[in-house]
Amino acid sequence: MAVLLARLDRRVTPYLLVAPFFVLFGAFGLYPAARTAWMSLYDWDLLDGPVAFTGWANYAALFADPGFYRALANTASIFVAATVPQLLCALGVAALLDRPLRGSAVWRAVVLLPNVVPVVAVALVFAQLFGRDQGLVNWVLSGFGADPVDWRAHAWSAHLGVAVMVAWRWTGYNALLYLAAMRAVPRELHEAAELDGASRWRAFRSVTLPSIRPTLLFTAVVATIGGFQLFTEPTLFGGADGGADRQFQTLVMYLYEAGFERFDAGYAAAVSWVLFALCAVLALVNAALLRRAVRGG
Amino acid sequence: MRRRSLAWLPVVLALTATACGGAGGELRITVATFGEFGYEPLFAEYERLNPGIDVVGRVTDFESHHKGLITALAAGRGAADVVAVEEQYMPRVRRSKDKVADLAAFGAGGLHDRWAPWKWQQGVADDGSVIGLGTDMGGLAMCYRRDLFQRAGLPTDRDEVAALWPTWERYAEVADRFAEHVADARFADSAGTIYTAVLNQAEENYFAKADDSFIGDTNPNVRRAFEIAGRIGAKGQTARVTTFTPDWNAAINQGSFATITCPAWMLTQIEEIGGAAGAGRWDVTTVPGGGGNWGGSYLVVPAQGAHQREAYRLAEWLTAPEQQRRLFVDSGILPSQPAVYRDPAVLGHTNPYFADAPVGRLFAASSDTVRPNYRGLRDADVRPVFGRALGRVENGQRTVGQAWAEAVDEARRIVD
Amino acid sequence: MTVRLRGGLATAVLLVVVLASLFPLYWSVVVASHDNADVAGRVPPLLPGGELPGHVREVFAAVDFLAALRNSAVVAVTVTAANVLLSTAAGFAFAHLRFRGRDALFAVVVASAAVPVQLGVVPLFVLVGELGWYGRLEAVVVPGLVSAFSVFWMRQACREAVPAALVDAARVDGCSLVRVYRHVVLPALRPHATVLAMLTFVASWNDFFWPLVVLDPNEAPTVQVALSRLAGGYYTDYPLVLTGAVLGTLPVVVLFAVVARGVVGGIMRGAVTG
Repeated sequence: MAVLLARLDRRVTPYLLVAPFFVLFGAFGLYPAARTAWMSLYDWDLLDGPVAFTGWANYAALFADPGFYRALANTASIFVAATVPQLLCALGVAALLDRPLRGSAVWRAVVLLPNVVPVVAVALVFAQLFGRDQGLVNWVLSGFGADPVDWRAHAWSAHLGVAVMVAWRWTGYNALLYLAAMRAVPRELHEAAELDGASRWRAFRSVTLPSIRPTLLFTAVVATIGGFQLFTEPTLFGGADGGADRQFQTLVMYLYEAGFERFDAGYAAAVSWVLFALCAVLALVNAALLRRAVRGG
Repeated sequence: MRRRSLAWLPVVLALTATACGGAGGELRITVATFGEFGYEPLFAEYERLNPGIDVVGRVTDFESHHKGLITALAAGRGAADVVAVEEQYMPRVRRSKDKVADLAAFGAGGLHDRWAPWKWQQGVADDGSVIGLGTDMGGLAMCYRRDLFQRAGLPTDRDEVAALWPTWERYAEVADRFAEHVADARFADSAGTIYTAVLNQAEENYFAKADDSFIGDTNPNVRRAFEIAGRIGAKGQTARVTTFTPDWNAAINQGSFATITCPAWMLTQIEEIGGAAGAGRWDVTTVPGGGGNWGGSYLVVPAQGAHQREAYRLAEWLTAPEQQRRLFVDSGILPSQPAVYRDPAVLGHTNPYFADAPVGRLFAASSDTVRPNYRGLRDADVRPVFGRALGRVENGQRTVGQAWAEAVDEARRIVD
Repeated sequence: MTVRLRGGLATAVLLVVVLASLFPLYWSVVVASHDNADVAGRVPPLLPGGELPGHVREVFAAVDFLAALRNSAVVAVTVTAANVLLSTAAGFAFAHLRFRGRDALFAVVVASAAVPVQLGVVPLFVLVGELGWYGRLEAVVVPGLVSAFSVFWMRQACREAVPAALVDAARVDGCSLVRVYRHVVLPALRPHATVLAMLTFVASWNDFFWPLVVLDPNEAPTVQVALSRLAGGYYTDYPLVLTGAVLGTLPVVVLFAVVARGVVGGIMRGAVTG
């Protein structure tokens, strides 16, 4: 009897443990996503509902639209500019926080603040920083004898500005994730390194980094998904249309324009499925890397 | 934790149980508005006049209000009984007129002579059904900085200034004169606001009134508006700030531009941003080309509501002349009904911050000359295209001609 | 707060980071305590002005702030607790148990994180209406009870903090899975759970668009929804909006300060010393 129970336990319990996620995801994630897939096959007006069945026409129009490729390129460009320095900074901040500090818990809470600050405050602060005529950044630049930059007008400067905004909002967040991973590194490893007389930098490289590699990859996956669904920061940075040349319109802004400004729900649904496919592929590639790294590490 | 999470359930249940009927068997009518409509005291009075009715106001910000409304209309539930809709969303609501009640069924058809004809027309669908009753309006004038005009050697008296620019072409000439004498300020805030004002004075814009076909590429009105605004922008005579952004606020406060087309509701804003230092520096005069309108709203009754007749009665009362008069006197909300805005109390209204400009008279005259301006079904899709093209001209990335060609191409692609 | 430290440079760098993190919050207070004209001036104000009490009064006149605070707290606490519990369970199963279809199911979790939420809003809205939750807190709480991010994060945490050998040893001793979970897994996951709780709480507290769409701003608004009525008709009265923003952020900051000092510190110390 006990054996049977144990076997049942081994067979059934894992499913019970993961069930809540799948039930909720099925109802509130999968169902809307499936409805969206169905919408994408129609000429579907957001307010009036389905106008006509059009099959793959929305997708065909999407892949023929230069605006889509521009949004894709913008998204990728901002993603690279924002993610790489941001994850490196987060690692540095985490390493600093990992040292013995008084009031360390308060420090930790403070680095998360950029993520807590309401977006309207963030928008105002960055509008001030990157203002063309009275922005702090241009004021500093002019101190070095440079001409003021019209940050929102050019692709490179707008991408840079949005990237700074993204990095500022998420660095502390990722630093906390790294810190939690560092804290989980068994103490014996550190002690062994200390006995070997390793410098702090050596210990960090040979003990800490390998132990938190899975978390590094985890944040890379999340940053990828988040980066390709970037919407809030560029909208706050320079308005919902992404600039006069749409030079900083991201994919989700492009989706939003179709759905909520042109009310073309069918087209927007097609965009969101393409976006989903893109994110899923990138995430699964990352997850494969992650699994390899876990096995390897 | 668990105990706490269950503890609030009865509270929520109690709240939602009463959500449909008001307290004590009263009928509850919800009214959703954005920003400041000044309705709260009117609701109280309406409840006093109509025992058994409980009016509840919901206020959110402009963006959220309209996005939430569209979601609710799309889903067929969740909208308030009476909803305010800003004029730029009206073409869209007219297009989906089955989502809102035809107020003619409740007798709205007989009210049309209350409003200025253009205001009434905006709330009527193609088949003649009445989908919205006008609330306020945004009669257009031109705000200008007396101090900057003086430095430029231009007249500062508002009648003389009005005489400088009977037409937009003349306005552009004044811009050139201004630029010769003043280097540290621009003549206008942005090419976009000029363009919009010029365009809206024409009866047809991007679509033909007769058959709703796209004429944005051939209509001389569009071309003219684009050329005038584009040339001013290309010469660097605009401050290149987008309305209502922090940059725009800073530009007003610091006197970075000398003129802006301003509807009635913008005066409060200029006053707040300019602060005491800006008092007496601004003045108001007529806009080139005579008049225009920017902003203003309608009350609509969503068809998903359970109490449409009662909702209509409330909307009709809220937009009736005596209430419009009260709203103007108490909150400065500009009426859209000629009988009300020609009331001596309204006509005689002056604004001390703007050098005692006779704003009542100016805005009334401006709205009297508004011609109904036909907006096609796809108007909202192509309008931003031309605005962005002008932005490229202002940035110096394109000439007026290049930007025009690009905008026409993009608009054609959208309407095909 | 006096912080004496070894390693002056490291402290200096950390101070810069902290100042950069704090600055926007400080700036919000500055803007909230001035009037519109000051904020738009040629030299932006750097020190708080005297307008704050008046603005706070205005906010309280416009918004039932205490009710909104209560709703936000209920939502954020429920969502946070559920996320931590449910995702630890799922994460543990994905990390340490072998069952058929595990990898495929996990791939679904990862992929589900990639579903863009922007357009699912209308079908989701219809569904919530059919469940009869329109205007009720359930509409905001239930869809957020567990997220792909949490499951993903906790699986990672289990792999790092709970050695497989430990789980296997407990299993050999005849512990049921539930007991292993309670006595082995949960204690080891505390630091990760704390971080997840913080992040979830913040995200839930700041969520805006969905609550706005499904909640009735009069009956049961959250703080963010209630504050949205402060934005004016055609323009934004920044000082007033930021006063609301500061008031809405303050509870989280205070909570963090309190929680951080006590609970987090204790948990982290406990986690480190074993």
